[in-house]
Amino acid sequence: MATHFEMELDNLKSIIKKIGKLAEGQVSEAVKILLQEPEAAEGKIIKKTENKIDKLDVKIDEICQSIFALKQPVASDLRFIMSAMQISNEIERIGDLSISIVKKAKNIKEKHDLIVKFNIADISRQVELITAKTNICFAEQDGKATGEIFVLNKDIRNSCEDAIHDIINEMKVNSKAVVSGTNLVIVLKHLERISEHCTNIAEYVYFTVNAKIIKHDKFDDLRSED
Amino acid sequence: MKDIKIKVNDLSLYYGEKKALNEITMDIPANKVTALIGPSGCGKSTFLRCINRMNDLISNVSITGQMLVEGVDIYDKNVDVVNIRKKIGMVFQKSNPFPKSIYENIAYGPRINGINNKAELDEIVEKSLRQAAIWDELKDRLEDSALGLSGGQQQRLCIGRTLAVSPDIILMDEPASALDPISTSKIEELIHELKEQYTIIIVTHNMQQAARTSDHTAFFYMGNLIEMGKTNSIFTKPMQKQTEDYITGRFG
Ligand SMILES: Nc1ncnc2c1ncn2[C@@H]1O[C@H](COP(=O)(O)OP(=O)(O)OP(=O)(O)O)[C@@H](O)[C@H]1O
Ligand SMILES: [Mg+2]
Repeated sequence: MATHFEMELDNLKSIIKKIGKLAEGQVSEAVKILLQEPEAAEGKIIKKTENKIDKLDVKIDEICQSIFALKQPVASDLRFIMSAMQISNEIERIGDLSISIVKKAKNIKEKHDLIVKFNIADISRQVELITAKTNICFAEQDGKATGEIFVLNKDIRNSCEDAIHDIINEMKVNSKAVVSGTNLVIVLKHLERISEHCTNIAEYVYFTVNAKIIKHDKFDDLRSED
Repeated sequence: MKDIKIKVNDLSLYYGEKKALNEITMDIPANKVTALIGPSGCGKSTFLRCINRMNDLISNVSITGQMLVEGVDIYDKNVDVVNIRKKIGMVFQKSNPFPKSIYENIAYGPRINGINNKAELDEIVEKSLRQAAIWDELKDRLEDSALGLSGGQQQRLCIGRTLAVSPDIILMDEPASALDPISTSKIEELIHELKEQYTIIIVTHNMQQAARTSDHTAFFYMGNLIEMGKTNSIFTKPMQKQTEDYITGRFG
């Protein structure tokens, strides 16, 4: 039989899964709006979900605070609670970035051409993928998935850098592209940040499972240990 | 109010000339765990003993103010002390089983209350031991002496003995202070289970235990109730500096 403390931890875990799913939905919604032409009806759902995410983020902080104060978690429980606080932070940021993407997407003229030209759809899909994988990594507390998420993040980072490089070149020769180009660069930066936040979450899962802090480490360090 | 089980109004207690409790006023909610914390000598045990009139047994004690249990002032001269103690069970720091069999330890109270039917007693013994989370460990050795049990088992047996007379309030004075961590967490888990049916008041020196087990916490200092509130608030944002200093270990 689970003790009531274990039930409390389970409850916390399910709230984090929930907020993670909401953020994943926000990313998909943002990507959909970004890739759509002409712009579809948007705003309501994404705004509503943001409020939900913010509320859950605060709730998670409160739960963690009271577990720290009242239950003195140790060992794996301690790592789980420490990670929970950080993860909910990262998730909340993912939600915010999704909203920003929607706002910037509105300023992009002749979006469709740009999207095709600079490979934005592929990058967006990859970001959706890493978000989904990260949620699974957390739900299953799968430290091994961390490596895969690191690799995916690296790909996304490279693709974003390449695309940004190409966009800047385009803007140099075509001054009409400057406004849209700048907005698209910001969108790409946001996508890249989302992927980074996912990677951070995977790092916290790794920390919870393996009791090893891999923040700021290179993926190669992680691989050479396995 | 329905969910207040015990209402304390301006209760003061003197041991001879010495005032040990100073005008305590508080509400103890029903079906919750209330923890009493505070430094040694602050009056926790004295206050706990006021709730079932155990202080009557000490000579030279005088009490003023009111202790209302379900609206009845238990210090009223028309109140029958035996009835009060029947309704209010107590578990002590040092487990104190009778030097009899496990079965007899539990059956003792109900027998005194006039239950002599064997089947009925069997049922009470099983139910009480189950509630005390010790039935599985003891069911095959009910005729063994209670003194042969480990400290942790004895303490749960004593909790079972308290439950056997179906009280609605259980007072516990440092019930786990002599136990190892595993027995302690069993007792704590048990407390959590029991509050569905009982109102529990627990004195503990172990702040973490108060934090883990209770819904409300009262902080006593030198015979005064300094602060009482939801345990979560007391341990995350106490209102009084003295409480903050005590729970953070910065006292004195
Ligand atoms: N029978 C008694 N006669 C006289 N004074 C007493 C008696 N019992 C307790 N006292 C005094 O009353 C005050 C409160 O004692 P009490 O036992 O209630 O404290 P406590 O908070 O339970 O302490 P501890 O944490 O050490 O058990 C103390 O100063 C104590 O010396
Ligand atoms: Mg005491």
